[in-house]
Amino acid sequence: MALMVGAFYNPQLGAELAAAKGIDHLAMADPPAAHDAHWPTIRERYTLLLHDYLGQLSEPLDERSIERARSLATLYRTPWIAEHFQCLHTEDGRYNINYVFPPLYTDEFLERFVANARALQARLEQPLVMENIPGFFDVKASQLPEPVWLARFFDATEVGFLLDLPHVWLEAHYRGMKPEAWLAQFPLEHVVELHVAGVEEDEDLRGPWIAPTAPSEAMLAFLAHAVTRCPRAKAVTFDAFSPSLTADVLFRSVERIRGAL
Amino acid sequence: MTDRALQDLVLRALADASFRASSAWRQRALADPAKVERFARFLARHFYYERIVHFFKYSGALARVTGRRPEGTLRGAEFEALLPVVVLGSRQTARAVADLVVREVKGGAPVASIPYRDDLLRYEAAMMVAEAGPRVWRENGKGEEGRGTGVPETAEGTVLLDLAYDLPAVLPQLLQPWTEVPQAPPRPVRLLVARSPRGRVAVARTDSAVARVVELADGRRTLEELARAAGLPRNELEATLAGLTDLGAVRFGTGS
Repeated sequence: MALMVGAFYNPQLGAELAAAKGIDHLAMADPPAAHDAHWPTIRERYTLLLHDYLGQLSEPLDERSIERARSLATLYRTPWIAEHFQCLHTEDGRYNINYVFPPLYTDEFLERFVANARALQARLEQPLVMENIPGFFDVKASQLPEPVWLARFFDATEVGFLLDLPHVWLEAHYRGMKPEAWLAQFPLEHVVELHVAGVEEDEDLRGPWIAPTAPSEAMLAFLAHAVTRCPRAKAVTFDAFSPSLTADVLFRSVERIRGAL
Repeated sequence: MTDRALQDLVLRALADASFRASSAWRQRALADPAKVERFARFLARHFYYERIVHFFKYSGALARVTGRRPEGTLRGAEFEALLPVVVLGSRQTARAVADLVVREVKGGAPVASIPYRDDLLRYEAAMMVAEAGPRVWRENGKGEEGRGTGVPETAEGTVLLDLAYDLPAVLPQLLQPWTEVPQAPPRPVRLLVARSPRGRVAVARTDSAVARVVELADGRRTLEELARAAGLPRNELEATLAGLTDLGAVRFGTGS
């Protein structure tokens, strides 16, 4: 089956996306704004993928969050629902870093994510997929390598894998490894969707990090390599969602991704 | 200590600069301190970039007149100086960052064409500060968002803003294409800014009766006492409280 190639719905590009050709799907990071004049056309034209923040699965989702997920899934007619392997606010709600951040890779967290993902999946009509999140530093309390922890998670659930390639690329960079060698350790047989985008130097991190920019040639080559190892993959998404993203970058990136596959 | 509690320690270290510098954190040696510091600074800039762009969007729309973009604050020396005491999401840090933004925007070109600029900056800063503070991430059956049966109390972060210009009349126009700077009618308005327990900020025009209720609801006065003090009939007070509760401006204590 041919891979779908798409992008994120960036509302500032609504007019261009409503008329665009060559894009198979749009991932939805936010619900459509009430005043978005292009939304009806977007909904009619595209396969839409639910990729919102539903909640962190280190805790069970509450009824309100589950109902929100179900409602958005119905609105988008999404073929699958995405969440992240993240734990970004404290249990008491006092501290929140407002940015994707991985859990400790321990047995306790594995049990939490497995139980809470199963509970969420049981309430959804569509398959759940989970996205890997990059760590900028290792936490010594982690007990398992991330790929092993992910493999155990996917083996214990019927959840699919949303493989974010720049996340893998960045982790390999900061570990001093070849991206292909690091990627090979991940449970790629569970991959349903791949994300690809660019990376940029960040002054605070003093190194490359996720950015809503076009993928480099090296990243596209990494994508071409990765898809050959993901036999169940159905879609590749240009992972850029930002008010500063231009139509030119979005359309050229999708075209280049298609060319690389 | 559970792994979940350890994760909370890591999150606190990333969010709270003073904790990150403390021996309580450093002695645990959970991660490379230099890398944690770099990532924390990255997070701080990201955290306040998102909030400044959102809450100061009207000043952003006026940047071609003022010559100052609100988010320019984040690359200034004063923001760098703030980083050692930042607590992501705290009201104190939100107030400090909002003050920096106001100074940054006021430091731009003269703005005779924007007579309501100071009101606008007060409004935007109030929104950003109101959004800060701990929030409820998931329901836990304790009725944080319900009306309860206890006594009403004005929620922390709720503010009343007295402005000389009718900002709500001009704000939508600022986000549309314009050539001449849209003008706000010069008439006094009183606005209520409040936040729901889940962090949704709302603004509403208000009158003196509603303002009195907000000022008097202290978590101790009963409904009867509040009605007497505010000079409102009981049914009118209850309707006012219902509206204020929906906005997040008032919560009912459980009495426990």
